[in-house]
Amino acid sequence: MSERLKQIINKQSQQQNMTTQHSESIVQLVGFIIGEEEYAVPILSIQEIIKPIPWTRVPQTPPYIIGVFNLRGSVIPLIDLRTKFGLRPKKHNEDTRFFVLKQGNDVAGFVIDRLTMAIRIKKSDIGPAPDTVAGDDSMIDGVGKQEDRILTILKVNKLLERDF
Amino acid sequence: MDEFQEILQDFLVESFELIEQLDQDLVELEAKPEDLELLNGIFRVAHTVKGASSFLNFDVLTHLTHHMEDVLNKARHGQLLITPDVMDVILESIDLMKTLLGVIRDTSSDSGVDVSACVVRLDRMSGGDGEIQQPSLKIAEPVAIKVEEAEPDYESMDADEIEAEIERLLNQRQAEDQAKRKSKMAAGESVPAIPSQPEEEPYFQEPEPIYTPVVVPAPVVHTPRHANSFADEDAQAAAPAKKAAAATTVEQTIRVDVKRLDHLMNLIGELVLAKNRLIKINDDVEERYEGEEFLEELNQVVSIVSLVTTDLQIAVMKTRMLPIGKVFNKFPRMIRDLTRELNKKMELEISGEETELDKSIVEEIGDPLVHIIRNSCDHGIEKPADRIARGKPETGTITLKAYNEGNAIVIQIDDDGKGLDPEMLKHKCLEKGLITEKEADGMSDKEAFALIFRPGFSTAATVTNVSGRGVGMDVVKTNIEKLNGIIDIESEVNVGTSLKLKIPLTLAIIQALLVGVQEEHYAIPLASVLETVRISKDEIYTVENRSVMRLRNDVLSLVHIGDIFEVERIMDASEHAYVVVLGLGASKLGLIVDSLVGQEEIVIKTLGDFLRDIDGIAGATIRGDGGVTLIVDVVALMQMAKGVKSKVMTESVSVAQIAREKTKASDYKIMIVDDSKTDRMIMRKALEGLGVTLVEASDGQEALNLLKQGDHNFDAMLIDIEMPRMDGYSLATEIKKYNKYKNLPLIAVTSRTGKSDRMRGVESGMVEYITKPYSADYLSSVVQRNVNFKSELL
Repeated sequence: MSERLKQIINKQSQQQNMTTQHSESIVQLVGFIIGEEEYAVPILSIQEIIKPIPWTRVPQTPPYIIGVFNLRGSVIPLIDLRTKFGLRPKKHNEDTRFFVLKQGNDVAGFVIDRLTMAIRIKKSDIGPAPDTVAGDDSMIDGVGKQEDRILTILKVNKLLERDF
Repeated sequence: MDEFQEILQDFLVESFELIEQLDQDLVELEAKPEDLELLNGIFRVAHTVKGASSFLNFDVLTHLTHHMEDVLNKARHGQLLITPDVMDVILESIDLMKTLLGVIRDTSSDSGVDVSACVVRLDRMSGGDGEIQQPSLKIAEPVAIKVEEAEPDYESMDADEIEAEIERLLNQRQAEDQAKRKSKMAAGESVPAIPSQPEEEPYFQEPEPIYTPVVVPAPVVHTPRHANSFADEDAQAAAPAKKAAAATTVEQTIRVDVKRLDHLMNLIGELVLAKNRLIKINDDVEERYEGEEFLEELNQVVSIVSLVTTDLQIAVMKTRMLPIGKVFNKFPRMIRDLTRELNKKMELEISGEETELDKSIVEEIGDPLVHIIRNSCDHGIEKPADRIARGKPETGTITLKAYNEGNAIVIQIDDDGKGLDPEMLKHKCLEKGLITEKEADGMSDKEAFALIFRPGFSTAATVTNVSGRGVGMDVVKTNIEKLNGIIDIESEVNVGTSLKLKIPLTLAIIQALLVGVQEEHYAIPLASVLETVRISKDEIYTVENRSVMRLRNDVLSLVHIGDIFEVERIMDASEHAYVVVLGLGASKLGLIVDSLVGQEEIVIKTLGDFLRDIDGIAGATIRGDGGVTLIVDVVALMQMAKGVKSKVMTESVSVAQIAREKTKASDYKIMIVDDSKTDRMIMRKALEGLGVTLVEASDGQEALNLLKQGDHNFDAMLIDIEMPRMDGYSLATEIKKYNKYKNLPLIAVTSRTGKSDRMRGVESGMVEYITKPYSADYLSSVVQRNVNFKSELL
């Protein structure tokens, strides 16, 4: 019995090693649409994705901060990525989602037009951001190429950084 | 190593607690040098710290405390008189001890602090080394031997202390037993009321053994000796007495990490929010199912839950409460130091030190109080000669008292010094350019007193290191306001000054007044609200481009909350407005709001790092309906109000209405709200002939969302009553909450025909009530009438 158990455990740990080895070169992202473009953020930075719920406007803030909302007892800022990216605001429809991103203690909700899908992409398929927008100030982490589409991968820490 | 850390932590916590008490005792001691009780207490502190530090190998600290102990021991035995000079050295050594403990806390070692100078001075006081102490050793030889026997490792330098301690305890026990015997004879009944007091001594001794195993034998030696030296009946009488005493003195407390309490407090906060929500739902249910039997049961449960929640909240709040004495304790020492430094004669009277405050507030309040008291000493109390010249007692008195007042605690600091001269203050401020001539003229005395809180203000002619750096009082003000506190200042020239700090009991949960402006709600801490008044528009005057109103005999400047928080004002239809009068110290402001929602207990939540320091917003809270309401920062709001130009009540005749000019039939938009598809179809068929635009919603919630999105400007709504999620009555009530929909015609279309149903329809804001079945023509005509349909468009 214990022999078998050992075998199983060995097998499991082997499998685990396999997957970790495997995933080293794979990045998991979640893609979403804002305006015409497709963007993506690492799947692990997403706390949750929810349908739009009522929010409260906060005065004395830039226009892209549309307010705060209640996520199970926490008050979380809500940022409209359309406005932030210089697009005209759009009425929320049934595709609209709140993307709750988390890094360390920083949490914020982001309004996106539409979710696309979870994406597994090889690291080698991710290129650096174009020179014109690269650098520490840029929100773009890199550009992923997959089949016929191009994903702009965003820096979560930049999204969650207060810049006003 | 971990064990060592643990012991070290305990040692530090205990030492800091002991020292806190020490300052107070020492100053008291100076006044009453003969008080043996006090001396013993102080001695014990030095002794305990010494024992523990030697155990933990803090040589420098041991060295210092050992010499302190020598001096104190001498004083205890009457060989040394406590003079101010001696006290200076003792206080200096205690300061050093504090520094050392601080160093130990930070670095876990006591190196880097030079104590030799102080030790030399201490030695000088005690007159050399331990030789003079020899006589005391002889007094109780047998005990000393026993101690040595029990613990041969015991360092000889501590022996005399131990033995003196034991001897003292023995004497006490003897006296106590004698007293007991006497009382027994007197009453014939052995009710040991007296013993409980002296019994405290062994209790104080208790902490020592933890760090100094060497002392352990003391009580052990003590008990048998005691048992042997008295008659059997006495021993028996003593046994229950000891038990009783043990019951009262065993500490009924546990140390709890503050983090856990904070967590508990957060959870209670959640519970309070849930309670608020439950109450709201209960109200809704009550309205909807009036007269049903289960309602009463529900009511009971809700009220029990709300009662228990409130009690729980108070109970947890109390666990975080500390007596303010913890802060007050350090002031006698401070006054004493200042007395010597400033060459003034001052006394501090403290009362109400048992008044309790939340721990976080106790921590914050210390610094402001230090500033205030220093100011009173430095600027308030005059030099002795001046005081005599003015016919006052030579010694100035500063009174520090704390007491509860409603949901707040008041800390009052009075001095009988020279008082504040409003003219002088104004003059000073003018000189420094802090105020203008015009402002100065219009100032009341109270406003002039408040000038001392202006940044950059300092009245002391010479800059001392006590106060007068010009940063003191404005820091005090900001710190107190951070705690949601209010400062009130009163003063009379040559009589004295009185400062009152009014601080809420706790920071986490507060009472707030909820106000509405357009569709938004804001919470204002009730502590800053003086009153609310309802005024009509013609009571508002404009003076120098600012809106003001007359409130009894005062002129109150007004500002609209919408101007401060950039609220888009769609309509100001109402002839009346509500003014919330905010008060912060001496300044007042009238805040105009559209509606008063009510008073509610709210839990303060931060907006997080991302939205920190938003002007005018102190935080947020979650309301009964799950929505977020922002909490107004009254201090910031008052500042912001100064920059807001008068726009109050300017007739912004709704632009929206002009935009609604109709040129074709399809400009009319009607919303149909019904959960039944067939019913929607019937209505659609009835109205299609008009050519108006129709939008459908399948329940109240959806309709409300459609409306809120603002894609369409609806001219009327047809509403069914029976619907899932949100029924027609609730929908109408919700819609009528919005100013901009005040005039939107709501037409009920329902099969409910009862009179009470009609009444409810009217109450919730419906203008028409159509009962099913109806004819298509009838529906069409009702709609046409309500939207002022232009017949030429047909």
